[in-house]
Amino acid sequence: MAMDGASAIGIGRPAAARRTRRLGWNGGLQGSDRNWALAFLVPYAAIFLAFVLLPVAYGLWLGHRPSSYAALFSDPIYLRTLVNTALFLGIGVNLHLFLALLLSGYFMSRNWWVRSLLLVFILPWAVPSIPTFISIHWMLNGEWGFINNALYTLFGIDGPSWLNYRWPALASVIVSYIWKWTPFWTVILIAGRMAIPQELYEAASVDGATGIRRFTYVTFPLLANLYLICTLLSTIWTLGDFNTVYFVTGGGPSLSTHVLATLGIRDAFIVDNPEVGMAAVLSALPLLIPLVIILMRKLAKTQVQL
Amino acid sequence: MGNMSRRGVIGGSLGLAAGAGLARPHIARAASKTLTVWWNQGFYAAEDQAFHNLVAAWEKASGNTVDLTLLPGQPLNEKIVSAFTSGHVPDLMYADNAPAQIIPQTAWDGKLLDVTDVVETQKSELSETALQSAQFYNNVEKKRSFYGVPFKGATLNIPTWKSLIEKAGYQMSDVPKTWDPFFAFFEDVQKKLRAKGMRHTYGLGYTLSTTGDDPNNLFVQFLVGHGGGGIVTPDGKLHVDDPKVREAMVKTLTQLASAFKGGYVPPDALNWGDPDNNNAFHSQEVVMTPNDTISISSAVMNNKQWYYEDIVTSPIPLDNDGKPVSVLLGVLLAFIPKGSGNVDAAKDFIRYLIQPEHLDLYLKEALGRWLPVMPNLVKNDPYWLDPQDPHRQAAVKQGVLGPTATWYYVFNPAFAQVDAEHVWSVATSDVINGMTPDQATTKAFERITAIFSKYQTTS
Amino acid sequence: MSASLAAGGVRARARRRETLSNAGRVVIGLIVLIWTLIPLYAMVQVALEPKDNVFNNAIWPVNATLAGFWTVLTQDYWYLSHFWHEMGNSLYIGVATTVLTLAIGTLTSFVVGRMRLRHAWVISNAALLTYVIPMSFLAIPFYRVMQEYGLGDNLWAVVAVEVTFATPYAIFIFTQYGSSIPLELDEAARIDGASPLQIYWRVYLPLMAPSMVAVGTYALLLAWNEYLYMFLLLSSDHNMTVPVALGQFLNSDEAPWNLMMATSVIYALPPIVIYYMFRRYMSAGLTMGGVKG
Repeated sequence: MAMDGASAIGIGRPAAARRTRRLGWNGGLQGSDRNWALAFLVPYAAIFLAFVLLPVAYGLWLGHRPSSYAALFSDPIYLRTLVNTALFLGIGVNLHLFLALLLSGYFMSRNWWVRSLLLVFILPWAVPSIPTFISIHWMLNGEWGFINNALYTLFGIDGPSWLNYRWPALASVIVSYIWKWTPFWTVILIAGRMAIPQELYEAASVDGATGIRRFTYVTFPLLANLYLICTLLSTIWTLGDFNTVYFVTGGGPSLSTHVLATLGIRDAFIVDNPEVGMAAVLSALPLLIPLVIILMRKLAKTQVQL
Repeated sequence: MGNMSRRGVIGGSLGLAAGAGLARPHIARAASKTLTVWWNQGFYAAEDQAFHNLVAAWEKASGNTVDLTLLPGQPLNEKIVSAFTSGHVPDLMYADNAPAQIIPQTAWDGKLLDVTDVVETQKSELSETALQSAQFYNNVEKKRSFYGVPFKGATLNIPTWKSLIEKAGYQMSDVPKTWDPFFAFFEDVQKKLRAKGMRHTYGLGYTLSTTGDDPNNLFVQFLVGHGGGGIVTPDGKLHVDDPKVREAMVKTLTQLASAFKGGYVPPDALNWGDPDNNNAFHSQEVVMTPNDTISISSAVMNNKQWYYEDIVTSPIPLDNDGKPVSVLLGVLLAFIPKGSGNVDAAKDFIRYLIQPEHLDLYLKEALGRWLPVMPNLVKNDPYWLDPQDPHRQAAVKQGVLGPTATWYYVFNPAFAQVDAEHVWSVATSDVINGMTPDQATTKAFERITAIFSKYQTTS
Repeated sequence: MSASLAAGGVRARARRRETLSNAGRVVIGLIVLIWTLIPLYAMVQVALEPKDNVFNNAIWPVNATLAGFWTVLTQDYWYLSHFWHEMGNSLYIGVATTVLTLAIGTLTSFVVGRMRLRHAWVISNAALLTYVIPMSFLAIPFYRVMQEYGLGDNLWAVVAVEVTFATPYAIFIFTQYGSSIPLELDEAARIDGASPLQIYWRVYLPLMAPSMVAVGTYALLLAWNEYLYMFLLLSSDHNMTVPVALGQFLNSDEAPWNLMMATSVIYALPPIVIYYMFRRYMSAGLTMGGVKG
């Protein structure tokens, strides 16, 4: 069954599909089962038709004019913004997901205090972004920010104005982003780890696999697919994230830390030109579309494997 | 205080409901309408209360009702842009930043209703700058007309710590009156304060960042102060090739950048968001900071020592030849989108708002943070020049009675984009990072010319 | 003798390893704690200062007072005069989003991942379309469709947006997670004569519990911290939420920052409590023997 769909988008895996069919609901759905399945799909289909198709189509239409892209590309900071976006995505997304992967293992511990620590650890995720990032902006103030106050009190050092230089400012943005979003992915990956049958670990420990070996041979292969999906989704979402940059550095110093999202918000709502704003994020489509296609393949694969 | 005003709201609205119930039958309008109004929230509770009072009074007088949405500035702007883009618009709007960020472009695109007839009702009362600031260019109909109704204004003021100046061994009367000496004076104040061990105090609170409105307000006012006021003419044409404009740009860049490089501006000013210069001022990190409206002093109104003794509001200094500098007056406008379902009621509401006695009451109930744009109000009502209030009086003298200039985004929407792109602060940073002021000027003017090339006015 | 010695050595080594890994755990825990708490501490520090003394050069609150928190709880500031009502609206939106996301997400992933309806893969691939344009850039389109659907100034408009963005993710995670649940379980239930609804309810949902807690928390927090769509789609005071109230602090250059931070800290607590309440279901999944069934 699944094979039809999978081969339609060019990733047919006959062997796996045959295996699936053997395990599936005896040779496909019939009669009332089919109706149940259709009924179960109604809610999402309704959401999709009402709230995805129309807005997305209208959104794409807003960014259809070539002149919007001409205006965008002639912006002197556009190239720099692309570089920042690539760094923000490349470093921020991968680093925080990798941390989340490690920490999810840590939080699997049965220790009561490790489990309590998890509640503290997810606080950054629960605090509203805007005040948090404003607070971080103040923490990094060179004169009275918490960081420099602490450096002075503890070590007698006068710290710099962290946000006055492009790279420290961009690094601050990435660190703030990691601080804010690692807890979310940690919770997701904890759930992923919960799905790994305990027997596999027992079998592995009989074979003498512990620690890192256990991770590389048991945990990671089973989490890999989920991890990849998380990476791709996080990349897509982070592309649209403007709060972090907007409130931590405001794009400064001298517009050197803008990302496409903040540029787009500025063009749409401050320059009052929503079409150019839309063009700013749509100009990332060459990056986004391959990601979406990889995701599609991944998602199709999860259905035919196992 | 919060409690008091809330009780006031409840009491007021109960009274209003009762009043409306009694009044309605007597007025006996044919059909009462519901007017959808989006309005910018005030800085403090009294400002909102003043608007609620105005709305209640108009409802009573007209028999209509108002469906009111009060939102903070930035969210409101985004909502307004969404409304214009999608075509689902309210009947009447006002936003603090709309004259600089929304009206120039929407008027250009022909999305605003011509409100000349409303402005006409008070044309003789409104100041010349106010009238000019309400006329935008419509590129669809190729004409300039009234697309907003002026009702209040704001200019740059310079809150200054008198107490710090005295601590440095000076009197307020020692502060020079002309441009360059005025600002240089604060560098000297800083040196004296540093000598007294205040290692975190800076003389000049210039916002030099590339975010928010403060850096633009500061830079363009400096440009005018150095004689570059002709950068855009009322016909919407750009004049960066005018040697006077270029010279003013170079002088402004030199002044701001050398103050920063000399260590007289807090290093973080390169990244200040709009609230940060206020914070720096209140924590006495800076002796002065140029800031729009008198909000810095209003915020500490409850601290009598600060409000009446320690802080003074300095006006913009005279130019280097000793002549008064026109201060850029941001004129705030109410506007009606095309597609409003209640044009008559919306116009009626604004006509009501700008009747001098209503406007005076409204602005006073809002505690006088905004300037009236009707010079007669200030002359007739002693409130505005009350010698007891050091800050309001200074702001009114400068922004209503002194020479004022119209903001350039009124003449051409391109200027709004120049501000949004923070071309000015980028140029200042370029000089700080080693470019000569002349090179930075060339670079900035190239970008400005490119932006203006997309907005050619024909009138 | 030599065997017991060796065994003793192994035991000692195991104990040593135990102690070492415990020490490691404590070190990691401390690092995580400091990392997490420093920015939060900076927020709380501001929240604890009286308004006029928010910025100073100390690393601990100078004149610490809980007055800021008290002001928020008693709604004693004009920005916060409807705080509890707004909290109620936030909860309403958050809970509705969570419940709908979980319901729609599990139903869809059940069909896609387990019932293997012909062409069901189209659904999960089509759902990806939601993410082609980042959420914050669909503001104008959503404003428009909600007006056209007559959902202006309606809490359900916000719920609809949040569910729209949360559901595709929920479907992916559930499908992915569910793929590790052996299909034999469904087969067995079917042989016992269970209808698909019964299998969904009795077999599928209980086994999905850990991922439902994780995705539910995600949906709740997505809605909880939404700001853009709240002010965009809601208008009246009656329908406002806490994030919009928080946004008011940025209306001017001047605000009681201590109250903004106090509100943020208070606002962060309900999701933590909710997560805490449901967290025990996380361990009720496969590891508890579901697989053996």
